[in-house]
Amino acid sequence: MRLISWTWFWYMLIGFLLGGGVVYLWSYLKDKAEKLVWYEWVLFILAGLTFVMLGQTFIASLKEGEIQAAWMSVVFLGVPIIIMMVGSMRSLLSRTSKG
Amino acid sequence: MEKKGPRKTFHHSTVSRKDFMKMMGLGSAGLGAAAMGLMPEMNFADLDDMKSSKYSDRNLPFWVKEVDEPTVEIDWDMMEIFPGMQNTMFNPMVFGLEDAQASNKKYMAKVLGDINNKTPGYSIQDHALNAASCYGWQDGIFQAPWTGPLHPPADLTGFEHPSAYATPEEMGVPKYEGTPEENSKMLRVAGRVMGAADMGFVKLDERTKKLLYGNIVFKDVEEGYSDPEKHINVLPNKDLWVICSVIPQSLTMGQYTDKMSWAGANAFAYSRANIYASRIKMFLQGLGYQQYGSNTADVGRAVGFGVMAGLAEYCRATIMVSPMFGTSFRTVMLTVTDLPLAVTKPIDAGIMKFCRVCKKCAEECPSGAINMDTEPSWPDWEPGEKPHFARGIKGWFLDPKKCLSNMFSGEPDCSRCQVVCPFNKYDSAVMHDLIKLSISAAPALDGAIRKLDDAFGYGKQKGDHLWDKDPWDVPLFGLDSSRS
Repeated sequence: MRLISWTWFWYMLIGFLLGGGVVYLWSYLKDKAEKLVWYEWVLFILAGLTFVMLGQTFIASLKEGEIQAAWMSVVFLGVPIIIMMVGSMRSLLSRTSKG
Repeated sequence: MEKKGPRKTFHHSTVSRKDFMKMMGLGSAGLGAAAMGLMPEMNFADLDDMKSSKYSDRNLPFWVKEVDEPTVEIDWDMMEIFPGMQNTMFNPMVFGLEDAQASNKKYMAKVLGDINNKTPGYSIQDHALNAASCYGWQDGIFQAPWTGPLHPPADLTGFEHPSAYATPEEMGVPKYEGTPEENSKMLRVAGRVMGAADMGFVKLDERTKKLLYGNIVFKDVEEGYSDPEKHINVLPNKDLWVICSVIPQSLTMGQYTDKMSWAGANAFAYSRANIYASRIKMFLQGLGYQQYGSNTADVGRAVGFGVMAGLAEYCRATIMVSPMFGTSFRTVMLTVTDLPLAVTKPIDAGIMKFCRVCKKCAEECPSGAINMDTEPSWPDWEPGEKPHFARGIKGWFLDPKKCLSNMFSGEPDCSRCQVVCPFNKYDSAVMHDLIKLSISAAPALDGAIRKLDDAFGYGKQKGDHLWDKDPWDVPLFGLDSSRS
């Protein structure tokens, strides 16, 4: 029995980061009066799901005492997230900058 | 003075994966509500209530298939009966008295040297803990005789727990009756309470009787008995089932601390196995049924019964790998009973296929005892040529002398092959389940998974000292996570 556990805090942080990202994207689209096309939706959703998976794997690996596994998961899941985010953002920005 | 870095502390939480997913959807308030909502399901009014609980079913992960035959090929015509524990590879007398005495001398010299030289991980407290872990297994009152645990006679007029050791007959009540399915479910619940991580049931027939030890004979008697003069244990000629119970072993001690406590992980589990066995026998006796065997050495082949009961698959290290517990269990405790049970089938979770390409246990084995061949093979020796193996399966066979020599050089109960197995993981990270799903469904990825297991640093010796740990970080009984 541990009286104070901080695991919940890290999971909440993931939730806030993800929620913040969604709110930011929504307000950005509203400002620019723009809509996402289907493949941008797919990329954003996949990036979000992968981000959740990364967060869970990272925190759980630390909990398991597997420090190397925790950081390797950042590499193996973080790189696809960056690729998906860059791809979708570039597509979105190219349209909004033209407008 | 040795300079110490900041101590690593891993915060264990009561938040599980399921809770995490709920939290993502509902927020922390939802989590609290969900956790409170789950609690009533764990409160049982009586045994019937427990039996009807969702926790009482075995519920294998969906990627684990029940199959008619185990994944290791068996030739039941070739199948030999193993004589008994006196032939086990862990009895050094198998190699002769002289070798055994020499090994013992070497072992004691190493032990004393390590204590005197203050070798980390081999201190007097490490050895004392190891001695404590053996009580109940090596010695003690927990080893049940063939026909049941020793206990005072039932005293129905006694002050406290007067029915504790009484059979239904002694109490003048009818014995328990249920369908095989109900009986299995009941035993599964009782087993979890008493210390079995998982359970399977094998009916004794002409095939599976060959997995019993050679000193067990069947006679036309009402009840079985033990005949120490003839060195035989007798079972009655009637319908009998073998209850196969997985006894969990501490992954924390085995994987996350220094070597001497690996031995403790191993022996503590054996000790708990004997305590568990006495209790399950008392349970069966209390239901009004016969029960035989039950210390770790007197029924039959743990791996053979475990595979046939579908608790695990046979693996390269000549032991078993469970899809849920990996190799983090010590033995399959065997209890013979006449309580009718619904048999469980062997399983296929892609483990034996994975063993073909993985080979991590063989690479990491300090004595090189584990077979490195990709494919399993039928035994290439004549009957009796290798007294510690009975022929009958197409498998990988380790070199027992190499294995035991390493242990007797001062690494008791080494367990390195178990510790490094890629199936041996805590169950916190969702990723582990996805990997197991892949192993079951896409064997083509097995090689890549093995490489990733290394790259992620799994199975490495962490080398933390047990005594440096925050006591709150040491799981109760040394056991880990929700499944064990």
